[in-house]
Amino acid sequence: MKKRSAPAQGPDPAASGAFQARAAAARLAKPGLRGLLVWQIARTALRLGFAAAAAMAVGRLVIGEPVYPWLVTAAIVLLAASCLAGLAADTVQASAENVVSSGLRELAGKRLDEMPARLLQSLPVGSVIVSMQRHPEQAAALVVGHRAATIMMAAGPLLAAAVLCFVSWQAALLLVGLTPVMILFFALVGNAIRRRADAQERAFGRLAGQFADRIRTLPTILANHAMVGEEAKLARRLEDYAASTIGLLRIAFVNAGIIDFFASLSIAILAVFLGLGHLKLATIPGFSSLTLWQSLFILMIAPEYFAPFRRFSEQYHAKAEGQAAAAALDRLLDSEPIAATALPVLDHLALSLPAQGLVAVVGPSGSGKSTLLRRLAGLEQRGLSAADRLADEEIAWVSTDSFVPEGTLAEAVAWNAGAVTRDRLEDAASAIGLLDDMLLPGGLDARLDKGGANLSGGQRLRIAIARAQLSGRTVLADEPTAKLDRETAEAVRRMLLAISRSRLVVVATHDRDLAAAADITVDLTRNDAIEAAA
Amino acid sequence: MRTALQPSSRNSWRLAAAFAFAALFCAILLGGVSAWLLGSVAIAGLSAAALTFNFHMPALFAIGRTAARYGERLTGHKAALADQVGHRVELFAAMAAAPAVRRAGWQLGDDARLADYLDDVEDLDYARLRAGLPALTLVCALAILIAGSAILAPLSLLPIILLLLATLFAGNRVAKAGAMAWERARSLRRGGASRLGATMASAVPLKAEHAWSRECAEALAALSRADGALLELRRLQAGLDMIGAALGPVAGISVMAVAWHAGRQGTELLLPMLLAFSWLAFGEAVNGASRMLVAVLRRNAAGAEIGQWTRDASAGRPEPAPGEVEPRLLRHGALQRRAPDGRAIGRPISLLLGGGHPTVLVGASGSGKTSLLKQIAGWIGEDALAAGDRILSAGERRALSSLVLHDAVILEDTVRANLFAGDAPDAALWRALEAVEMDGRICEAGGLDAWVRQDRFSLGEVQRINLARAWLSSRPLVLLDEPTEHLDDAQGERILERLLAHLRDRIVVVSTHRAAMPGDARTIELQP
Repeated sequence: MKKRSAPAQGPDPAASGAFQARAAAARLAKPGLRGLLVWQIARTALRLGFAAAAAMAVGRLVIGEPVYPWLVTAAIVLLAASCLAGLAADTVQASAENVVSSGLRELAGKRLDEMPARLLQSLPVGSVIVSMQRHPEQAAALVVGHRAATIMMAAGPLLAAAVLCFVSWQAALLLVGLTPVMILFFALVGNAIRRRADAQERAFGRLAGQFADRIRTLPTILANHAMVGEEAKLARRLEDYAASTIGLLRIAFVNAGIIDFFASLSIAILAVFLGLGHLKLATIPGFSSLTLWQSLFILMIAPEYFAPFRRFSEQYHAKAEGQAAAAALDRLLDSEPIAATALPVLDHLALSLPAQGLVAVVGPSGSGKSTLLRRLAGLEQRGLSAADRLADEEIAWVSTDSFVPEGTLAEAVAWNAGAVTRDRLEDAASAIGLLDDMLLPGGLDARLDKGGANLSGGQRLRIAIARAQLSGRTVLADEPTAKLDRETAEAVRRMLLAISRSRLVVVATHDRDLAAAADITVDLTRNDAIEAAA
Repeated sequence: MRTALQPSSRNSWRLAAAFAFAALFCAILLGGVSAWLLGSVAIAGLSAAALTFNFHMPALFAIGRTAARYGERLTGHKAALADQVGHRVELFAAMAAAPAVRRAGWQLGDDARLADYLDDVEDLDYARLRAGLPALTLVCALAILIAGSAILAPLSLLPIILLLLATLFAGNRVAKAGAMAWERARSLRRGGASRLGATMASAVPLKAEHAWSRECAEALAALSRADGALLELRRLQAGLDMIGAALGPVAGISVMAVAWHAGRQGTELLLPMLLAFSWLAFGEAVNGASRMLVAVLRRNAAGAEIGQWTRDASAGRPEPAPGEVEPRLLRHGALQRRAPDGRAIGRPISLLLGGGHPTVLVGASGSGKTSLLKQIAGWIGEDALAAGDRILSAGERRALSSLVLHDAVILEDTVRANLFAGDAPDAALWRALEAVEMDGRICEAGGLDAWVRQDRFSLGEVQRINLARAWLSSRPLVLLDEPTEHLDDAQGERILERLLAHLRDRIVVVSTHRAAMPGDARTIELQP
């Protein structure tokens, strides 16, 4: 986890310093985890109780001793209760994980909220989506399910051993004694797995994502007529990877095998000891002179002793996934802003903007036109004096990456523009040529895909201008006429000029015609940057 | 869509099934026989039966169970992996034939969509291992235990069958309601993801308009609602698992109770006890059986989704080998331009493409330049273009053309593989890299056999590698989509000039939204 040097200030660690997804998730998990543990322990205890009652009933029955009705009743009640406790534990676990994943996502959202716009823009959108979609859930499984399994690995066997002590502390001791041996094996195998996995990562890591990569790059492969070769290559690489994976699994499954072995072996050893005890062939302390029900009881409890180990080892995948998810969230949400290029012109710029009129910011690419717009909107930390900023005003931003919600064209134009009548919508849309666009059949009722995926940059920009006109806000427009055909560019210029009669419109532009129409021109290549139109 | 068994995996599956049976029977008998043994020695001392099944029996079952479980896991995974290899190669070929690949904006080029897709592929790959194999063994064991109960204690079948019916009922509910919950979760996820994507793509405008927080929060809320749908599925699972957990113990108790009620005593009770403890061990194996159902419903959803991609796939028509035809001129009197989804764009245009002079398509963003290039390349529509005295179909043009997409990407592979130049000599590859001013960068990366990935390159570098592919292409028709995008003006001009000179004898079409183009180019202006 990456930590920033600045110490955390304030009570909410998400607000400052590193994100620390895992710690945040653990905090969110606390209340649910407690409930989950209570239910899991209850399930284990009730299950042990059932085993005791059932063993006693069956043992007495077979030996020919009277079976008390309360014993049978107790067994049934305990069984039912343990099943219900199991249901409660499963449900509580699912809910707790859901609480954590939602909470973590909310925290991550807050964190994204605090990021400056330029940093947000630089984040890879695909990884942000993957992170927000999957990682909270995976981190939740780590701090709830896996954590509970870890704790139960201590509590479950202790409980089983304690219950066993009622009948034979020697049997309990045998099981407890076997545990360190098992753990030693675990550690040895674990090391071997890690070594193998590292070696495999070095040798085959490149092949791991080949299928995904070839699906991702499919159009490029087709465009280059490489399908036949790539198909054969993919088959070869997948086979290599599968073979090396089997090599790794061969060792990894030993881990599960160890638990199986000890669980089975302990039952076998106990059965043999107890049998010898009953035969009076050997006098093993704690194993001879037991009644049948006691022997059966020991036999039934022994698997319960090992069950938590098995459940824990099944969580291995959840652990690896959860840790990777938490790390990925940290990486994403602790991204440092990329250092902005120094723009001394902007730092020395003193602007006083009128309440209405068209202001054109001109200058070659890279001279800071867009940066100036962002500073005006208060989206950059440094820069303009408070007087020059428009941050407190309501702003309509016009650019080719303007937001388009899902729905009809009418909804897209009216989005965030306040209450607008259908007539005004129609006027604004037609003035900018949106209604006779060949690619938007259906006029105002044309369906737009999610996020305007079926729109060109020019179409988005025109939607944004129509919206800006309706909203009555100050307009900041970034290259509003670039990439447009002549007529549409002319319509955009007309619209911006019309808006500037009642409001302030600031455009960053390369377009000479638009700059010529401005009341004030800010030329970022010159020191005496500002000149008013004659 | 189900994953077909690969011939190479059939033996592995058989072996895995054998191991699974062995493991389950060892587990069941370990419990049953141990109890029976204890009972018999407790009652009768060292009887003949106890001698026959001497004390080595439990140890034998213990070791057998461990070994068989290990074998089951290993051979099961081996079989699943073998299936996976074959299945994925088939799927790759099927995806290549899917029409969506050649249309606008490849959706699986996007990380989030690709991750969803891979989940689906994995759900298909592992369904047999997660559900098929364990279900098969459990059903067999169940049948044997029921048969045993029917012989030893017929009346015990009543509660057993009642509970089984309850399990079936709950299982059916999980299958139906669960499938719906899963489908809802999927669609909420997709919706939230695309909403978040749209929000991220418009970060600056949204922040400036103070609308970012709201939009982002709503997108995230949709993702959390998807988690809510998953929660519902897990609740359903918990209900089923509760009934499943009761099955073994209830059956065991019933068998003992019925045997006792029938008046059996002493040694007569030993066999029922063996059966009862076997039921208990079976109950352990049933634990978490709802996962099998979930694996099945996930497989079904994944199959439907992947089927969507490959449904309209045209059977792979063999492309004619390049070199057979060498068109010098391509023409169409009145070509109706089409958007990727088939809609007509603008009025029909007359098209005359010849070698020697590049043709330049200019037009504003959204005027359909890329679509026209794809139409010429035979990627969109089924138009026939005249080439001298013969007609070239879309499929034939696909084979004859080198389409240089503006959103082409880098494969995770060597530089050499990324140039797609077959067995061209190294010198030719270096010359191409030199022409696009990438030789230094590739040298730095480790030469032609260096392993590269998309994220190691800037957009401009990717574009230049893409142009090197065009340089190395031997096809008679070369279509360049925005070749200077992501390059600065001077560099773009230099590289394009070199490339066009190199491709002088071919038919070259270039789309661009920039004005400056070589002097001898013919220009077609596109209106939306």
